[in-house]
Amino acid sequence: MVEPRDPRTQSEGVVAGYPQTARRWPSQPLVVRPHDAGELSGPAKLERRLPPSKADLAGRGAHRALGQLIHLRARVVDEDGVPVSGALVEIWHCNSAGKYLHPNDASDSPPDPNFQGNARLVAGDGGLVELRTIKPAAYAVPDSDGWWRPPHIHFSVWGRVWLSRLVTQMFFPGDPLNDHDAILNAVRDPEARARCIAKFVPTASGPAHLRQGALVYEYQLVVRGRKAAPRMP
Amino acid sequence: MTLGPFFPREFAQGANDLTIVSGKRAEGEVIEITGRVTELDGKPLDNVVVEIWQADAKGRYDNPDFFGWGRAATDARGVYSFKTIRPGPVQGRAPHINFLVLYSGLMRQLQTTMFFEKAADPVLDRVKHRERLVARKLSSQSFSFDLRLRGDGETPFFDD
Repeated sequence: MVEPRDPRTQSEGVVAGYPQTARRWPSQPLVVRPHDAGELSGPAKLERRLPPSKADLAGRGAHRALGQLIHLRARVVDEDGVPVSGALVEIWHCNSAGKYLHPNDASDSPPDPNFQGNARLVAGDGGLVELRTIKPAAYAVPDSDGWWRPPHIHFSVWGRVWLSRLVTQMFFPGDPLNDHDAILNAVRDPEARARCIAKFVPTASGPAHLRQGALVYEYQLVVRGRKAAPRMP
Repeated sequence: MTLGPFFPREFAQGANDLTIVSGKRAEGEVIEITGRVTELDGKPLDNVVVEIWQADAKGRYDNPDFFGWGRAATDARGVYSFKTIRPGPVQGRAPHINFLVLYSGLMRQLQTTMFFEKAADPVLDRVKHRERLVARKLSSQSFSFDLRLRGDGETPFFDD
C-alpha cells in the first residue's frame, strides 16, 4: 500500500565529513514496526493549520531582492508517479550572499532586506507549485575544513499519509560544488543524486508567462517509493 | 557555530495547540506534553522541529472536528511543548502519539511513538527499552516525553 523507500536512494545516518551526524543519529538500529492507521493516514487540508504564503521570495520590500531571478516549477508526485494535488509544500533558502533569514545564522554574509526567506504553498492540479525567487548563493560551512554548500533550496512536503513526509534539498545543474558536497554525496546511488538536481528549462521553450526575466528550473519531488527523493536535513 | 539549523522559526509557530479546531474546542481531555531534545552527551538542541500525528479522543484519525497534527520547535534549552487531546485507543493499539523529528545533522527524519502507559501494543512490544517510549506523568493533565537522539538512555526510533 505504501511502498518503502529504496535504501540505496537514502543517506546513511552518520556521514563522513559531517561531524554533527555522529552526535545526532541514533547509535541503535531503527526498529522495524508494523504500519497501521496512524502511519497510513495523514492530515488532510493541512493549510487549515499552516496558512499558505505568497509564491514570491524575490520581492519582500519595495524593491526586488538582489540576485539572479529564477522561476521554480516543482511537482509533487507519489510512488506511482501520480501527482499529489493539494500537497502542502514549504520552501526556504539563503539569499544571494549565502545568508539565511534566521537568527541562528551567525555568518557575516550580509542580509538582504528585500528577500523573503521562506514560503508555504499548496500544490495545484498536477501537483505543481511555482515560486518566483532568486538563486541562493553557495556558502562556506562554519568550522569546517573547506566545505562549501552548493546553492540549494530546502523543501518540506506532505504526501497523503504520515509515512510520505519528505524533507529534502534541491540543487542546481552544473555547479562544481555539487560533486564535493557531503550532504548530496551521502546518497550513494548516482541516479538518486541526479534526481536532487533541478532541470534548467531554456526560457525560449518555457511557458510564455514565465518569460519575465527569470531563469526557469523544474524539479520533481517523489515523496516515497523506489524513486523517492533522498531525504536531507 | 554549526551548520544550520535554519529551519524557519515562522514555520513552527502557532501549530502546537491541537485543542482548538476552527475556533471550537475539540472533544476530549486536554493534556500538555513537554520534552527535551538532546544529542550525544545530553546536550540540548535548539530549533529542532517536532511533528506529531494522533487519533482523537475516540481513536479516530478522520474526525473533521479534530485535527490530529501539530508541530513545535525546541527553544534554546531544547524544550518543546504541545497542548492536545488525550488520544483514545485505536483498534488493536494502546493509546499513542506518533512523533517525527527533523533537524540539521539528521540526514533522515526520525520517527518514534509516545505511549501513556506500558501497555501491550504490537509496536511497543518490538522495542527493547519499552519504558523509554512511555511518557512520564507529571500530573493528571501533564506528561513529559524526552527525545534523546543518541547516547545514554537513547530513545528507540522506528524505521519507516
